[in-house]
Amino acid sequence: MTPFEHSVLDVAGVQNAYIHTMWTVLLGICALMYVLVLGFLLWALLRARRTPDPVRPAESTGVESALYAWIGLVIVGLFGITITSYAVDRAIFAAGQKSGLALEVTSQQWWWDIKYQNDDPSQSFHTANEIHLPVNVPVTISLRSPDVIHSFWVPNLHGKQDLIPGRDTDIHLRPTRTGVFRGQCAEFCGAQHANMAVYVFVESQQDFDRWRAGQLQAATAPTGSTAAQGRDSFMTSACPLCHTIRGTDAAGVTGPDLTHVASRASLAAGALDYNRGNLAAWIADPQGIKPGNHMPTVGLSPQDLQSIAAYLDGLK
Amino acid sequence: MPDPQTGFRRVPARIGTRRLLLAATIAIGTCRVGAAEPGNPSDWTMPAHDYASTRYTDLAEINASNVKNLTVQFTFSTGVARGQEGAPLVVGNTMYIVAPYPNDLFALDLTKPGAPLKWSYKPNPKAAAQGVACCDVVNRGAFYYDGAIYYATLDGHVIAVDAQNGRELWNTTLGNINKGETITMAPEVVKGKVLIGNSGGEYGVRGWLTALDAKSGAIQWKAFSTGPDSDVLIGPEFKPFYASDKGGDLGVRTWPPGAWTIGGGTVWGWISYDPDLNLVYYGTGNPGPWNPEQRPGDNKWTGGIFARDPDTGRARWFYQTVPHDLYDYDSINELILLDLELKGQQRKVVVRPERNGYIYIIDRATGEVLSADAYGTVNSTLGVDLNTGKLKYNDEKKPRQGEVVRNICPTAPGAKDWNPSAYSPRTGLLYVPHTNLCMDWQSYATNYIAGTPYVGADVKMYAGPGGNRGVFTAWDLKKRAKAWEVKEDLPVWSGALATGGDLVFYGTLEGWFKAVNARSGALEWQFKTGSGIIGQPVSYRGPDGRQYVAILSGVGGWAGAIVAGGLDKRDPTAAKGMVNATTDLPDKTTKGGMLYVFALSAH
Amino acid sequence: MCSRYLRISLVGPLWIVTLLALGGCQREKRQFQSSPVTESGPMQVRTTDLQAGQTTPLQPDARRALYENNAYNLSEGKRLYQWFNCVGCHAHGGGDSGPPLIDSAWRYGGEIEQIYATIQQGRPNGMPAFGGKIPEQQIWQIAGYVRSISGNLSRSASPGRNDEMQTSPPEQLMEKQPPVTSSPAATEGTQK
Repeated sequence: MTPFEHSVLDVAGVQNAYIHTMWTVLLGICALMYVLVLGFLLWALLRARRTPDPVRPAESTGVESALYAWIGLVIVGLFGITITSYAVDRAIFAAGQKSGLALEVTSQQWWWDIKYQNDDPSQSFHTANEIHLPVNVPVTISLRSPDVIHSFWVPNLHGKQDLIPGRDTDIHLRPTRTGVFRGQCAEFCGAQHANMAVYVFVESQQDFDRWRAGQLQAATAPTGSTAAQGRDSFMTSACPLCHTIRGTDAAGVTGPDLTHVASRASLAAGALDYNRGNLAAWIADPQGIKPGNHMPTVGLSPQDLQSIAAYLDGLK
Repeated sequence: MPDPQTGFRRVPARIGTRRLLLAATIAIGTCRVGAAEPGNPSDWTMPAHDYASTRYTDLAEINASNVKNLTVQFTFSTGVARGQEGAPLVVGNTMYIVAPYPNDLFALDLTKPGAPLKWSYKPNPKAAAQGVACCDVVNRGAFYYDGAIYYATLDGHVIAVDAQNGRELWNTTLGNINKGETITMAPEVVKGKVLIGNSGGEYGVRGWLTALDAKSGAIQWKAFSTGPDSDVLIGPEFKPFYASDKGGDLGVRTWPPGAWTIGGGTVWGWISYDPDLNLVYYGTGNPGPWNPEQRPGDNKWTGGIFARDPDTGRARWFYQTVPHDLYDYDSINELILLDLELKGQQRKVVVRPERNGYIYIIDRATGEVLSADAYGTVNSTLGVDLNTGKLKYNDEKKPRQGEVVRNICPTAPGAKDWNPSAYSPRTGLLYVPHTNLCMDWQSYATNYIAGTPYVGADVKMYAGPGGNRGVFTAWDLKKRAKAWEVKEDLPVWSGALATGGDLVFYGTLEGWFKAVNARSGALEWQFKTGSGIIGQPVSYRGPDGRQYVAILSGVGGWAGAIVAGGLDKRDPTAAKGMVNATTDLPDKTTKGGMLYVFALSAH
Repeated sequence: MCSRYLRISLVGPLWIVTLLALGGCQREKRQFQSSPVTESGPMQVRTTDLQAGQTTPLQPDARRALYENNAYNLSEGKRLYQWFNCVGCHAHGGGDSGPPLIDSAWRYGGEIEQIYATIQQGRPNGMPAFGGKIPEQQIWQIAGYVRSISGNLSRSASPGRNDEMQTSPPEQLMEKQPPVTSSPAATEGTQK
């Protein structure tokens, strides 16, 4: 698995930059208040110790003005937070108004179906669990869910946005630097909620175009007899009932699109790194790796397992 | 007789004694039927009666004043109690009937009393084909041409049988049931070529129209309904009228990658032929799956009308009645070829009572839509833009995955399904047997699994405004409005027959076979047959010189599925929603499979 | 004084009883993996009531409890019933090109082993064969769900009302219709 980033504090997108500003302001103001409150508390405790007579009234000349000062400080602080919050909200909204790339993400239990939209439908395609974006291009992602509530969260790029069955939501991103950013489902959605990651690869426009052109191609034909056997085994067993491999007769949509599965960095929504061993392990025992997920254990013979893994490993 | 007031002119195609007499009495302002009727005018050699698909016979012995004396002359049981959609054929004193699966072909000798069986032909189609027939195991009939009977079987065979003795002449396999492919349509034989298409739009089948040589059964050409231009037989001679139908490889580019291979557009309805323009006309079915969000784009060339050269199959024009179909509005209904006077000009047109609820009048030389008027309740669309030709969809009624969209009119079977209308040149009216149903619809993502349905929608149907589920409409093509209508409680799923005696015949889903006055719509006669009627009535002159009317009775098809399939009314989505609209049907009729032939009682 | 003693003397045992009762509650076992690797089909199936010679009863399969009385398996069966296009031919139990599954009439038998066999082998008049395609454990899950459509399974295990369009009555609330092996009057070639 390529090294990835997964932190709110490492800003990689315009929206997260604004959120980071909000966070910093909040942190600053609250830290200041915290320090002051603790400071005053400490001072009060120390002063109490130095003045032993408890009967004398706590009459201090500066109490009233200190009180007013404190109120003033709180008001300034709250106003500061409010104004910053409002400005950040408006800025995020404005940033989202720009149109560029359009995606549609459908969250399923427990993986992400990613569709790259296009006005020309023959230029649209599906992939799974991995998003590639060109740097500095605004992206609009419409979010839909057919089953339960999920939440799309790529912390380096933006906040969380829920995907709610029967309702359309969307999220706007604009990454500002290249890198690999991990995202995670952020709304409990069932047994494998914890294993529902999405990887966002932000790259140069050139690299993105190359990737996109590759994804638009139909599946690579198998090379070698094992892979060819694997394709035949794939097509005659349970696999095409749920999976699509464009360019073949497999057109199932309830499981991830496998047309370019070997080009992806992870398997099973981040549960495993992609490599041929893990692929064969996943096919052999999906329930052991991700118990309760919707991929059944298909009783393949060892030969079929190897040949199918060889075939899928060639689908780059 | 031609009517001077309708402004139509009728010119007979073949000159015989009877014809000369008719021609001699033609007055000014008559209507022209667009194509020749082959053979003896008192026969019925093809389901549509003639290549123009008028379903009109000029036999006039039975008329409004004597039809009350119409009685059953003989009957014949097909031996199969499923939906009888066929049209009986009569050629030279022999009647030919095709039964539903297992698709036996019967020849009855009309010269003998009781019309006994002359011979029968049993094709023995694969039983498993029943599993991929969406809407009952029906067959819409055979076609007689040059001494042979041509028809197709449910498991995708096209067969030529010697009309004299029932011997099989050839048997060509065209369909693959493991892809969900069946054949239910009646072929159309034109210029020595048998034109036939496939069924399976609900199974992810890629549609096609194939031409077989009538003598040998060899494939002459095959035009797909989706895919690259080379498969769809589109070349330099293709001249669609509207801009949205122009461009290269639209059968690929208006689909997500690969979706056109399982895209539907099956050809399972009616074909007409114009010998003067040398064009055949037919429509393509719905795109697959029903869930439209799995196939963004216009989804060409599904849901539209093709005009092709019958010799080569090359397309001349195409008009898409339902671009990016949202509601299973197949575009396969009958196409009636007429010469009408519109806006002072004589135009050669095709008239199509469409599933989406509009009656289209289209110039049959160019594909230009001249008018599209609603003949039923329509709220799924807001009309047809005659400048661009595009159907305007109503955003409020668009299906959305995961949402229930309510009260969409017309339903998936449309304002009218495959059951064909008839045209009378005497009245100038188009007689349309149809339905008045609306539906709730919810779509969801569906897997394509070859040999299983590829639909992705739950539907519930119910009566439309007014509460009557069926209508029999007489449509005035000149005025572009209804002349009269007869409301029926149950959906009307039978064909119509118009006669020279100014009567129109049709059947109801509970089994009444009716004759109504062609001019006023008044009920002149009716007879209760043993089971619901979904067949096509025909009329012929028997060996004794009398006029006969024949109809097959036996409920089924999509409308009668609850009876034919023994379905359960507790599930309103059964039969793709039709059960919800027909829960009372099992109380009104049981299954049947009987031919009834009527004539005036010989007093 | 008296009431305080009464309270004390009741509260303690009440707590103990409650804790003991809760200890008896067990979350339903969910078997994600079949053992050893994949599930197998039913041990014995007959699709007709007619036996040659002296009749011998068939033993119900030992896995009946697992696939008929387990809410997880039934809900998985309901999901797969839609995923594998059973809805396309059988609707939500009412039938379409395939016969209804919501009533008590079963052409090829309505016990779970018989339904399993029908799904796995296919049937001559149009039921496709899913054997070798749908894994065995999933066929069991679907067969169990199909049993619940006609109300034959326990109310606590059967699925409830749909979140989407309401179709047939919820399986939980369906009146129980014990299966009878029967089919409509046979006419040549039309018996499915």
